[in-house]
Amino acid sequence: MAFVELRSITKKFGDHVVLRDIDLAVEKGEVIAIIGRSGSGKSTLLRCVNGLEGVDAGDVVVDGVRVNDAKADLRALRARIGFVFQGYNLFPHLTVERNITLGPLIVKHVGREEASRLARDALRRVGLADKAHAYADQLSGGQQQRVAIARSLAMSPMLMLFDEITSALDPELVGEVLRVLEAMARDGMTMLLVTHEMNFARRVASRVLFMHDGRIWEQGPATDIFEAPRTDELQNFLGAVLN
Amino acid sequence: MIRDLSWIDPVYLVFALRWTIGLTVLALLGGAPLGLLVAAIGNTKRPAMRWLAQGYVGIVQGVPLLAWLFLFFFGFPIMGVEVPAWLAASIALSVYASGFLGEIWRGAIKSIPRTQWEASGSIGMSYAEQLRHVIIPQAVRIATPPTVGFVVQLIKNTSLASVIGFVELTREGQMTAAATLAQLPVYLMVGTLYFILCYPITVYSRTLERRLRGVR
Amino acid sequence: MAYTFNFRDVFAAKDALLDGLGLTLQLTATTIVFGFIIGLGVAATAVYGPRWARRAAHAYVEVIRNTPLIVQLFIVFFGLPSIGIKLDVITVATIGLAINLAAYAAEIIRAGIESIPRSQVEAGVSLGFTRAQIFRHVVLIPALRNVYPSLMSQFILLMLATSVASQIAAPELFYAGSIIQSRTYRDFEVYTVIAIAYLVLTVCLRLLFGAVHRLAFRR
Repeated sequence: MAFVELRSITKKFGDHVVLRDIDLAVEKGEVIAIIGRSGSGKSTLLRCVNGLEGVDAGDVVVDGVRVNDAKADLRALRARIGFVFQGYNLFPHLTVERNITLGPLIVKHVGREEASRLARDALRRVGLADKAHAYADQLSGGQQQRVAIARSLAMSPMLMLFDEITSALDPELVGEVLRVLEAMARDGMTMLLVTHEMNFARRVASRVLFMHDGRIWEQGPATDIFEAPRTDELQNFLGAVLN
Repeated sequence: MIRDLSWIDPVYLVFALRWTIGLTVLALLGGAPLGLLVAAIGNTKRPAMRWLAQGYVGIVQGVPLLAWLFLFFFGFPIMGVEVPAWLAASIALSVYASGFLGEIWRGAIKSIPRTQWEASGSIGMSYAEQLRHVIIPQAVRIATPPTVGFVVQLIKNTSLASVIGFVELTREGQMTAAATLAQLPVYLMVGTLYFILCYPITVYSRTLERRLRGVR
Repeated sequence: MAYTFNFRDVFAAKDALLDGLGLTLQLTATTIVFGFIIGLGVAATAVYGPRWARRAAHAYVEVIRNTPLIVQLFIVFFGLPSIGIKLDVITVATIGLAINLAAYAAEIIRAGIESIPRSQVEAGVSLGFTRAQIFRHVVLIPALRNVYPSLMSQFILLMLATSVASQIAAPELFYAGSIIQSRTYRDFEVYTVIAIAYLVLTVCLRLLFGAVHRLAFRR
């Protein structure tokens, strides 16, 4: 069984069908980029993986745990899945360090020393070791996003989910975030990214999914998707986006 | 002499509501123009005028309503004027209302963007004309929900006029309670009557607020 | 007819006034503590509780906010003995005032809780926090910080409202004033002094709450 499996997922918002009969298997260490127009269902798909959205039909299974099972211990699972949001969602009333240590302290019940150590390591990995005592509103967008990544990293996740994390950033701040992602990919983290950064996807992703109208329209290695699109929809999308 | 609580007592209580409503209306009639003045003065360019308006609001809001009632009730005779309880209460409540309404309306006017002032000023309007034709019409929408909310406060505050002897709903209740010694049922009835009067207005104020937020 | 103002009689009774002031401060302090705690509980219930509890919380808030304080105090004052609870007038006043304040505090705190964006809650959920942990670490402190000015205003209103407790003979500042007035017949002077006293209290409370704000929400 694959590390993450989506089996025949269907999801509706009211009458609007957002995900149709999605099947996906993700192995450990894969870096999967999900691309497509807005409204194609990419973010919803990602949010189904850690249960932020429920599904109307099908199963979501992560490391053997059925996420959509009402009785599942989602909390324990979520502690092992990192989710990074487009809007960073840092806690504004806490310092950077507190933002990062909070999870290990209250969810994993590690001691204060250990939590501080995890925070320092995570901040070093994202290149912000000197910002431990700053508050979110004192940081740039790129720095805030890297802190958000560090916050997830400190939980030692087995899987990281990224929901368009560079879309809200000024262009000159995108690079610093992508560098962190690239390093994580090299270290073997299993990653699912919804992204508009095509160059990044081409360079770093092991597999690319193109979503259209709620389905996985095409998928394959990055080179196939970007250089040899098979369907009109993907061709049109790439034409519009890679201008 | 103590008598029993009878069916006629609730009827008297309901009739006393008209004094409660009347007093509220008087307070609004007196307080609204004064409050408008405070709001207008509080938004001028001259800091001294703004301080004056803020000072007025600060004093009115910083003294309990009971004190205002007593000050006006005992103040008039000193000046040689005999004033009946209802008039003293109306004046005290008008002053009280002007302090709160003035603040609400000052805030509403303040929230109108500077650009509106600049646009109307650049076609030569005076401060009063700007207020009248451009600013206040827009501020009214913003000010209406909290103003309606304050009307509820005012209705409840009329209950304190009972303390200087004005016979509105609460005083009627006190007299009935004293006559029958059935204090708890009487005051429960009084409370219920206030609730029936106030709750629909509260709901309306919330509807106005939702509509305001929805449009924006 | 000229009236000669005579404040001397009022100042001669300054001990009585100070005693009244002391009780006003005591009532204010205890009511704020209990009213805030109860209000916080009611607000949390109104947002997170089961349907029946949410309805009860809303009903409580609506009833209190749509009836006058003086009537509420009378109901508590006459109601408690009728179910066999005999308490001194200061405790009764505190209970009535706290029940009143809690309803207003609950409404303010509830608005604060609901103003926290969903995205903050989602961040907590994604990290694996329990609902209680999300409330405590992600929602509560930012919510209180957001509504602190409203709460502060409400507490000052409460301090002024303690004057209504004079009507159930609680010997706070206003009651002390009316006793002096009935003895000296210096009606206007007494209430002028009382009014100024409350005004000074208002200013002091505002300064105090401002200082607490800087200390508690220091950044």
